[in-house]
Amino acid sequence: MEEYTSTEMMAVCGANAVRDGERVFAGTGLPVLGAMLAKVTHAPNAIIIYEGGNVDTQNKDLALSVADSRLGYRAAASIGLIETLGFLMMGGRVDVGFLGAAQIDEYGNINTSYIGDFDSPKVRLPGSGGGNDIASSAGRIILMFTHDARKFVKKLDYLTSPGHLSGPGSREKLGLIGGGPALVVTDKCQMDFDPNTKKIRLKSVHPGVTVDWVNENVMFDLIIPGKVPTTPEPTKEYLDKLHQLDPQGIYLGKGQK
Amino acid sequence: MTEPSIEDKRITLEEAAQKIHDGAHIAWGGFGYQRPPEALAMELIRQKKRNLRIYTCGSEHDLDILVGAEACLEFEVAFFAIEALGLAPNLRRRTKEGKVQFEDYSNLAMALRFLGGALNVPFMPIRHMIGTNMMDKTRLRKDKAKVIDCPFTGTPIVLLPSVQADFGVICAQKADVEGNVQIFGIKGEDNEIARGSKTTIVFTEEIISNEVIRETPDLTTIPALFVDYIVEVPFGSWPMQSYGVYDYDLPHLQMYMGQCKTEEGWQEYLNDWILDVENHDGLLKKIGEKRLKELRADKRYGY
Repeated sequence: MEEYTSTEMMAVCGANAVRDGERVFAGTGLPVLGAMLAKVTHAPNAIIIYEGGNVDTQNKDLALSVADSRLGYRAAASIGLIETLGFLMMGGRVDVGFLGAAQIDEYGNINTSYIGDFDSPKVRLPGSGGGNDIASSAGRIILMFTHDARKFVKKLDYLTSPGHLSGPGSREKLGLIGGGPALVVTDKCQMDFDPNTKKIRLKSVHPGVTVDWVNENVMFDLIIPGKVPTTPEPTKEYLDKLHQLDPQGIYLGKGQK
Repeated sequence: MTEPSIEDKRITLEEAAQKIHDGAHIAWGGFGYQRPPEALAMELIRQKKRNLRIYTCGSEHDLDILVGAEACLEFEVAFFAIEALGLAPNLRRRTKEGKVQFEDYSNLAMALRFLGGALNVPFMPIRHMIGTNMMDKTRLRKDKAKVIDCPFTGTPIVLLPSVQADFGVICAQKADVEGNVQIFGIKGEDNEIARGSKTTIVFTEEIISNEVIRETPDLTTIPALFVDYIVEVPFGSWPMQSYGVYDYDLPHLQMYMGQCKTEEGWQEYLNDWILDVENHDGLLKKIGEKRLKELRADKRYGY
């Protein structure tokens, strides 16, 4: 059995959610490692797009910014923001988008803007960036963030990017073309969404994590199926490739493998 | 036959900042780590500008020093943090002090607002932002965005007010003295900003001749028709990057993130790197030949 960290587990879960040939919108950080890992393993024909303007990237070095010059090396095109978030994303030409979140609610609605009251916020977070654009129009959304009970809230401090809003039919009513969140990956578990209620549902727990622990670390009523499988452990091939992508441990952390 | 004359639109960095009056609304170019107008931000601080309002998709260290110096405290933006490194430290403190005002849009929304300004139409439609607090939570604008039923299809659509800012400021790799501009690598929202602002100022890493521009007109991303002033500023986006010219200065950014967590640390940074160096040439001297050479891009990779 391979040894692995919870960060590596998250990246591999993210990678496994990408299918071959898909057009993938990735931000920076762990999600992009997931997308890049998919491309060097089971999804060689995935096309990775960055909102800054680089399209179909094959970068050799990890990027810190979605606009990083590193992404321009061997990309198929370096264009503009209206091209990526407009023609491609709002045009309905993107299959999957990766997003992070400071808070999500039980419908997968996302806050990346403010913690606390809007009129006197405790913390100003980065804001939407392209997050709202991606959440609105990508075919499906994969959310990735470390597990913390304070992030799974009953009510968001601010709704930045649409999940399933108030349940079935609410996205369609507003003319949103994207399918909304499909998967949540944390360092403890994976969650998906119940097709009937569009509410978040436990999909699998990572090895060593109990269903009770997850249930106690979510501040809303989590749908828990009768039988919750354990997330398969990452293989040596995937872990090796992951570290080839991030040899300095920028996102994986130093000295973890 | 008479030769057409070539207008020389060059001004200095100091003159460019002098043109930007207190209270000006500025469409701010660059995207993330790529080609932000850092040298301008520093010069605006040296000239003690106040009450600026900045419109942009996403910017980072450049906006954070403007917030720290309280030159600009009003923003219509999509993103404000230092990607991969954390929340912007001065923004964090000034927000707690209740000094910063935001009007939040998405990246595409801001880019479309600039496009609307460039096309000289009053609004632009977007399918995004609908259903979120970006529609109903407002601070700076009475009319931030509106939802209507599309007059043709009946489905809901969001309308955004176009932006024609007093000034559009962007950085490029190459330009001639007349203002024909070549941007290499990604463009972000710079093409729209350059075409949609009342006065457009382009900061270029290098001046090339009009003859050279005319050898490859397909590389001109912004024709001189749209450009009012040209400023030659080598390393004008330091400590961030300019594709094909130089890379970002990561140790400097990391130092900034650590030091500016406190007001004292920020004041020290402000003095050391902005006020005490007197001007951009002084800043380059302080960074040093050796370091600048290290940051220069390897032409094979672009960084």
